[in-house]
Amino acid sequence: MTSLNEFAAAGPWPQRAVLGALVSLARRRRGRALLRYLPQVDQLMQALLATEHFDDPAVSRRLGWDPAAVIARGRDLRRLEGRL
Amino acid sequence: MTSHLAADVCVIGAGAGGAVAAAELAEGGARVVVLEQGPAHSAHDFTARPPEMLARLYRDAGQTTTLGMPPIGLPLGSGIGGTTLINSGTCFRTPPRVLDRWAAEFGLDLDEATLRPAFERVEQALSVSEVTPELAGGNADVARRGAERLGWSHGYLRRNARGCVGSGVCAYGCPTSAKQHVGITYVPRAEAAGAQVVTGADVRRIVMRGGRARGVEARTAAGESLTVEAPTIVVAAGTIYTPVLLSRNGLGGGSGELGRNLSLHPATAGFALMDETVDMARGVPQSFYVDEFADEGIMLEGIAGPPAHAAMALPLKGRRHAEAMAAYPRLAEFGVMVSDSSRGRVRAIRGRPLIRYDLDDADVARFRAGIGRLRELFDAAGAREVFLPLPHGVKPEEARRRDFKLMAFHPLGTARADARPAHGVVDGDLALHGAQGVYVADGSVVPSSLGVNPQMTIMALATRLAFHLLGRDVVAAGSSSGGPEVGQAA
Repeated sequence: MTSLNEFAAAGPWPQRAVLGALVSLARRRRGRALLRYLPQVDQLMQALLATEHFDDPAVSRRLGWDPAAVIARGRDLRRLEGRL
Repeated sequence: MTSHLAADVCVIGAGAGGAVAAAELAEGGARVVVLEQGPAHSAHDFTARPPEMLARLYRDAGQTTTLGMPPIGLPLGSGIGGTTLINSGTCFRTPPRVLDRWAAEFGLDLDEATLRPAFERVEQALSVSEVTPELAGGNADVARRGAERLGWSHGYLRRNARGCVGSGVCAYGCPTSAKQHVGITYVPRAEAAGAQVVTGADVRRIVMRGGRARGVEARTAAGESLTVEAPTIVVAAGTIYTPVLLSRNGLGGGSGELGRNLSLHPATAGFALMDETVDMARGVPQSFYVDEFADEGIMLEGIAGPPAHAAMALPLKGRRHAEAMAAYPRLAEFGVMVSDSSRGRVRAIRGRPLIRYDLDDADVARFRAGIGRLRELFDAAGAREVFLPLPHGVKPEEARRRDFKLMAFHPLGTARADARPAHGVVDGDLALHGAQGVYVADGSVVPSSLGVNPQMTIMALATRLAFHLLGRDVVAAGSSSGGPEVGQAA
C-alpha cells in the first residue's frame, strides 16, 4: 500500500470512499482529463499526487531531505539522552 | 465482559488539558483514571514521512474539514498527547488584552497575576525556552531579514522543547522526542503518581444521578464495557468532541451555547523562491514570528516542512508546481494566522461532529491584508518570486472568500466559560453550569479567539482546575511552599 492510499484509507466515511475513488481516477490518464472539468478537485488531486511523489525517499533525497537519516539521528539521540 | 474501576476523578482525554489535569491531580493525592479514545504513540514508530504520519497520528488522518465558505482543513491530534503531539510547540501566555476582555465580557476573574503561577508551573514542566537563531534555520533567516528591512516587530518563538536539533518535522512526530508534548511529560508523571491511563477507551455515557456525577461508561478497543465510578469527571475531549459528548449526555445545554462560539484561528501560507539555499526543513519549522499587526488580528508565523509537505501546500499546479519543487532547497515558506471574529458551530450527527464555519467580512479583510503583508515580507527579504495562496492572477486586495486556501489549528470556544449560567457552558472554575461534579478542561472553555497559539492557555487553565479540585492555590514551580497536599481531591 502506498502512503497516499494509507492516508486516504484512514479518513472518515464518506471522505474515505470519495477520496479513494478520486485518487484512483487521478492515477489514470483519462481520469486526469475528466478531473480537469472540476478545477478545485483537480488542484487537490494534483497536490496529493505531488505529495506522494515527493514523499518517495529517492526523490526527496535529491532535494536534500533524507527521512531515514532524520529518523536514525533521532533514534541515536533518544538512546544517548535516555528519552522516551 | 465488563471491567470496573473506581477513582476520585475520571479524566476523559489525554491531550493538553486532560493530561495536565490528571498529572496535577494524581500528584496531589487523588485517585485518577484517564480514558483516552486514541492509541499511545511511540517515537520508535515515527517515519518523518508526512502522508504516513498524517494517517497514524491525526484524527481521521488529518482530514477533518469545516463546512462553509471557504471549507477549512482542521487537523487534530489523536491519542496520548492529543494535538500537542503534532503541533509546532509554540508557547504563548494568554495576552493581557484577552484576559481583560474575558473579565469584562464573560465575568471571568482571570488576570495575569492569577494565572502567573499556573503558567510558570507549565513552562517549567515543558522546558519552555526561546528558539536560538542557529536552531531556527534558513527559513526564519528569510523572514527575519524581511522584517528587519521593513522595521516590523518580530522575534523568535518560545517552544516546549529540550535538546531540539531542528529535525523539521514537528507536525509529523518529533523523531528525537525533543518536543515536550504532554504524552512524554505530564502523562508519565500522572502514571508515576498512580493514575491509570486506559487507551482505546471510547466514552459512551457520563452517569449522573440527582444532578451529580457518578461515573463514566466506556467501550474499550477490545469491544468490552468499562465503567469508572467517580464523583468528579473532567471532560477534556477537545473543542470539537467535548460538545458532542456533553450533548449526547444531555449536559451543558442550559444556556444554548454548547457547540456554538467556535473560533479557529484560520491560517494560510505563502512561499518565496530565494536566490540563497534555504533548506526549510533544516531547523525548527515554527521558530519565528512577526507581530507588527497583532492588534489588527494578524500574526505572521513560520511554517516549513520536508518536500512532501511543501508539495502539498505550494499553491501552484502543473509545470509551475514541478519547476518550483525542483527548486525546493531555495523555497521559503511563512504563514498568516488570523485572530478571527467569525464564529462557527459544532453539532453532532450520528455521534460525529459536523462543523459549520463561514468566514465573516472582517476576517476576509484580515486575510486580504495579511496575505498582502506576507508578500511585502518576502519582497523585502529579496525574494526572486513569491507564490501567494490565491488562485493565479487574483490580487490579495481583491480576493473573495472562495479564493482563500485555509487551514486552522486552534479550535476554541464550544463550551465557553462565562460566569453567568445563561451565557456560558462552564463557570470561571470550569464547572459545568447546571451539573455537579462535571468540569471541562480543554480548548472548548476558552471564550474568545486568543490571537496566539493556545496550548499554554489550555494547560494553565487545566492546572488551575486541578488545584481547585485539590482545594489549594496553584503553587508556582520551584516555590518553597511545596505542592498540594495529599487527599484533598474533590
